[in-house]
Amino acid sequence: MSGLGDLLRLTVRRNRWFYLAWVLALGITPVMTASAYEAVVGTGVKRDVLIATLVGNPTMRAMLGPPFDLSTPGGFSAWRVGTFTATMACIMTALGVIRSTRADEEEGRTELVRAGSVDRRAPLTAAVLVALGAATVLGVLIAAGLIAQGEAASGSVAYGLGTTLVAAVFAGVAAVTAQITASARAARGMAMGALGTMYAVRAVADGVSDSSALRPLHWGVPIEWMALARPYAGERWWVLALPAVLTLVLVLAAYRLEAVRDHGSGLRATASGRPRAKASLLSPEGLAWRLQRGSVIGWTLGMMLFAFAMGSLSGSMGDMLKEAPVLEEIFRRMGQDASDLVDAFYTAMLGIVGVVVAVMAVQLFQRLGQEERRQHAETVLATAVPRLRFALSHIGIAVVAATALMALVGLCLALPEAIGQGHADRLAQIAGAGLALAPGVLLVLGLAVLLHGWLPRLDWLTWVVVFWSLFVIWVGGTLNLPEWMKRLTPWEPLPKIPAEPMDWLPVLACVLVALALIALGLLGYRRRDIRS
Amino acid sequence: MNMTAIEIRDLTKTFGPVKALDNLTMDVAEGEVHGFLGPNGAGKSTTIRVLLGLLRQDSGTARLLGGDPWKDAPALHRRLAYVPGDVNLWPNLTGGEVIDLLGRLRGGLDPVRRDALLERFDLDPRKKGSTYSKGNRQKVALVAALSSDVELLLLDEPTAGLDPLMEAEFRDVIHAERTKGRTVLLSSHILSEVEHLCDRVSIIRQGRIVESGTLAELRHLTRTAVTAELAQPVPAEIASLPGLHDVTIDGRRLDAQVDDTALGDLLGRLSALGVRTLTSAPPTLEELFLRHYDDDIREPAGEREPA
Repeated sequence: MSGLGDLLRLTVRRNRWFYLAWVLALGITPVMTASAYEAVVGTGVKRDVLIATLVGNPTMRAMLGPPFDLSTPGGFSAWRVGTFTATMACIMTALGVIRSTRADEEEGRTELVRAGSVDRRAPLTAAVLVALGAATVLGVLIAAGLIAQGEAASGSVAYGLGTTLVAAVFAGVAAVTAQITASARAARGMAMGALGTMYAVRAVADGVSDSSALRPLHWGVPIEWMALARPYAGERWWVLALPAVLTLVLVLAAYRLEAVRDHGSGLRATASGRPRAKASLLSPEGLAWRLQRGSVIGWTLGMMLFAFAMGSLSGSMGDMLKEAPVLEEIFRRMGQDASDLVDAFYTAMLGIVGVVVAVMAVQLFQRLGQEERRQHAETVLATAVPRLRFALSHIGIAVVAATALMALVGLCLALPEAIGQGHADRLAQIAGAGLALAPGVLLVLGLAVLLHGWLPRLDWLTWVVVFWSLFVIWVGGTLNLPEWMKRLTPWEPLPKIPAEPMDWLPVLACVLVALALIALGLLGYRRRDIRS
Repeated sequence: MNMTAIEIRDLTKTFGPVKALDNLTMDVAEGEVHGFLGPNGAGKSTTIRVLLGLLRQDSGTARLLGGDPWKDAPALHRRLAYVPGDVNLWPNLTGGEVIDLLGRLRGGLDPVRRDALLERFDLDPRKKGSTYSKGNRQKVALVAALSSDVELLLLDEPTAGLDPLMEAEFRDVIHAERTKGRTVLLSSHILSEVEHLCDRVSIIRQGRIVESGTLAELRHLTRTAVTAELAQPVPAEIASLPGLHDVTIDGRRLDAQVDDTALGDLLGRLSALGVRTLTSAPPTLEELFLRHYDDDIREPAGEREPA
């Protein structure tokens, strides 16, 4: 394939920091979890009881995946953070492939490359190969790190290789979505939508009781295949053939799709539109909404569905109450010390939802920066639109969508319990619980606005805060991080309803701080140059 | 042409180590079409973006329609329209939607005029932004800018993507705008366009204005190419006459570039020697522009600067 070598070098050169950051962060997590094993589960009888409880707990299963053998540090790590790491690695490969395919094509860079003596399939091949390379390095880091800690070699290899192959599947998924849509944004949305759906399906399949007819569904979910290969629990090597074959099929499909479409366009021809604008478009706010509504609607529906699926697990929680004594210890970590298991479940879920909604809010806001880079901001600001109004049109959408979504997610989370057990009063309570966490989202958004106003080149720092929060919520309880580090998230001061009672003071304080950050950021945005 | 539409004094703007504008000074009078010329990267777009309040100057002043381009941006922008050199449209908005949107954000557009321009530029407003060619994107921006009733048009290489037919339409439209008394700042590389449209021209290089004046004034700065065949061999001392450049003598044939101040003197000398044939190419702006575009042939600034 002519030009492939050069393109591989180019792709590595352009994405090295991107992949390096992902691979290091994800490679460390499984190894650190294994090394914290004894500190977390203890020893002797205490350990056995704890493990038995963990294995039977539907909330933990829904969040983390199926437990097999938790009696070794490796096996514990594979359950506790394995599926999480594999899912995150899927985000890495999917974003990476789209960066180097559809995003480059959309910006016209691929056209320059393709005009050279370069095979038509070379850019896609290079993008996929580099993503697979990063996934391989990640797998090697995991396997080598665990073997170095004295874990069984075969289990460690299954763990590492499984992570690599699951991540490879999403390199394939992204290669396909990059062919279907004409914009990188839509391609990313489609790949992330697929990932979110898979996560929800596997959460339900793992969370239901062992005898449920839904349980076998998890075999249909690629991100579960690493876990289903049972690292450290009598490895089932053949399971790993599934992601390998699926990746191959997806990549071949992507080649096929690329061959039948024109360069620069998606598979779907772009339809004609209206010759005149509707009145609703004719304002900065109307424009921002038009540009953002697809994302807002997609996120809202996706999150509501996810919450409903999670909420439907709350019914099986009642059975667990009988074995409560040790479980309460677990939920001390994730459920903020709730006495009621269902409460603890809602609290833990809302904690995760808060960070995910922050991802949405930051993404919606960063459209403002994209508009600037694509010189759309210049076009709008050359008209009579003041800068503040232009910036606020995007910030407003992020604030309203995020706040409303927090309440909606709470509502959907409690909906199954309200229907199934007639606890209608739960609806308002859990919706309110979601709303009480919204100020944390606004704090993250405030930071994003502040950076964009004064130091637009450091926009990415916001993502560090977001991923740190996600990391703390997911694995912070397992790792022996100092307490102050675990508390270092924007959601820390807010009341964790229903585990804790409502407390207005921190809620209002966080809202005020968030508004101050936004105002400060706007001050900078009004003073600085608009980049071209 | 009494009021000043654009008044720039000692404008300096740096991007990191790069000095994009270096004490730039220029004026555009109200009602004139002002050509803004210069090689790529000379600072044309930076100047326009300062005038639009998108960039803030490091030092110097700029006045636009009597206001401050930074502080009064929204109010001033109601009275002007801008066409960028590289038009980026929203991929999922149609051309028609963009035209209506930009018109409204500017404070309103004339729908009759909009439709006439669409027809004139042969533009389909139903297509999505991502499916327009470069030239058609340019047309969307032009129609959007020209549909509004504004005092000032800032056009940054507006015809870069247009075919010759559309370029001719563009010239007609700008002519019409001028008769209505609109001020136009037209950045361009196309010399014939500038010669056709512009009352005055400023040439920018490395962030400074190096020439500024009417086309007639600039022509005086140019040299006439003279080729003569004499009845006898050309005497060598002709080559040392003041105001002659690039002289080649080949027997009875003389080729030279002549400053217009030296033209009469030279013709007197030649006719005394007996002229068989004489051709003189009229002074072209192109030569002047090329001289300024080319970094290697830099004239000492004091010699050639009229302003």
